[in-house]
Amino acid sequence: MLSTILVPMDDSDQAGHALEYALENFPEADVTILHVVGVPSMMMGDAVSLTLEDDLSEAAAGRAESVFDRAHEIADERDREITTVVGIGHPARNILNRAEEYDTIVLGSHGEDRDRATHRFLVGNVAETVSKRSPVPVTVVR
Amino acid sequence: MVETLLLVGIVASLFVGFNIGGSSTGITWGPSVGAGIVTKTTAAAIMTVFVFLGGITVGQEVMGTLSEDIITVDLTLSAGVAVLFFIGLGILVANIFGVPVPTSMTTVGAIAGLGLATGTLNYEMIAEIISWWVVTPIIGFWIGGIIGRYIYPWVNRRVDIKNSPGPLLSLDRQGTVPKPALGPNTTTQELATTVVVLIIGCYMAFSAGASNVPNAAAPLVGGDDGLEMTYAVLLATAAIGLGGFTIARRTMDSVGGELSDIPLLAALFVMVTASTITTTLSYMGIPISLVMSTVMTIVGIGWGRATRPVTFREAVTRDSDAQDREIELGAIVAEEQEGERAPAIGEEESEEVLNAADLFNPRAVIKYISMWIIGPSMSTLLAYGFFTLFPGIA
Repeated sequence: MLSTILVPMDDSDQAGHALEYALENFPEADVTILHVVGVPSMMMGDAVSLTLEDDLSEAAAGRAESVFDRAHEIADERDREITTVVGIGHPARNILNRAEEYDTIVLGSHGEDRDRATHRFLVGNVAETVSKRSPVPVTVVR
Repeated sequence: MVETLLLVGIVASLFVGFNIGGSSTGITWGPSVGAGIVTKTTAAAIMTVFVFLGGITVGQEVMGTLSEDIITVDLTLSAGVAVLFFIGLGILVANIFGVPVPTSMTTVGAIAGLGLATGTLNYEMIAEIISWWVVTPIIGFWIGGIIGRYIYPWVNRRVDIKNSPGPLLSLDRQGTVPKPALGPNTTTQELATTVVVLIIGCYMAFSAGASNVPNAAAPLVGGDDGLEMTYAVLLATAAIGLGGFTIARRTMDSVGGELSDIPLLAALFVMVTASTITTTLSYMGIPISLVMSTVMTIVGIGWGRATRPVTFREAVTRDSDAQDREIELGAIVAEEQEGERAPAIGEEESEEVLNAADLFNPRAVIKYISMWIIGPSMSTLLAYGFFTLFPGIA
């Protein structure tokens, strides 16, 4: 029985589907949502502005709020409790660094509007990288 | 025949200038427009004037390098037009795929490709240019690092007490209607801030002209059939201005929008540093990308700030994950010593201590920098292939 599940989410529809899938198929499990902020981009605006904040943790939490609000909405519809965690920097590395603490990972196949070449070069396909390198089983939701 | 060629060249130059206008106006005025200090139209107008001034003065040095020094013979009109097409191609790729292609480096790449194919490359000059390209991002990065670690926090603390960007924004949105909530003291500082922002914007526009006008203008100047220098600069300025008034409306939101995530004070530091680097190198006749010096300074500031709790020596020498972890521990300890309400580790899962160094680990920075080298390398290869196949055009 899988008792702890990590669901990495961004603001894409697929991420929402991944959470729905995890909640429906693992009704007994503890679900943790991970959202990564300060992701590398062409001008590094997000990452640099994060470092210039006085309280990094607070600022990161603030930026993750909309994604977590959506996650809570999805969980509330199914009367489930979820835990939320914020990460910073590279999404795949964040996920992989935590992977061993969980029994499995469920994530969306790709983020929305993330097919730009810069993003692909700097961040890559997170689902692909995670499923290739994760020490625990990974479910990719389309 | 020559007239047709010149006409084709002018159209290509307009295309290049138009796109340069879009991108450079975006990074020059994005932060100020985002902060509500200037309107997009005002920004484009100021941009056009200072781009011309930069192009007609300091830009001449770069134009000389591009049309006379990179290759041992003068750039002919037909070769110039072909080079313009490669610059245009780089811009197209940048627009379509959203990859950064530094125009000045693409231009040099295309001319160097021509030189390689025809055996006229001035190796001494190209070596000098490339060494500056290696050194400049490092300089920008380190200056940014010093600003991010030492200068910005200090200035931010002092400026914050008297004047925050908040009131400035709300005052400007009110337009000419004075806001009674703001005292006369604030208004003076608002005014001072606005003037400083405008001056720095003009300075950056000037450096954009110095470094970018030559890309659109220099290829047309070559040979007996080419345009006169002044006409070419005017043509390039007109195209850049047109781009500034039209597509820059979008880039000021997209590229500039990403920049305006960064606090305005930090953006001003970036603008001054990048403009100074760009103007200095242009004055020395070295083609340099304003966008690239800008992003390197930004990344430098972020890195300098992110690696704060670590000593300088450790920050430079760390290269493996094992050392990364050590530093992370150090950072946590430092934060706990400083802050009075540091969360106990393991107390609550969502309250774990974040380490800003994760945002700028060395591998990510190297990957980031390499992204900027792909464009110019491609343009060299393509131009080399082209001029090898069609030597008559050179």
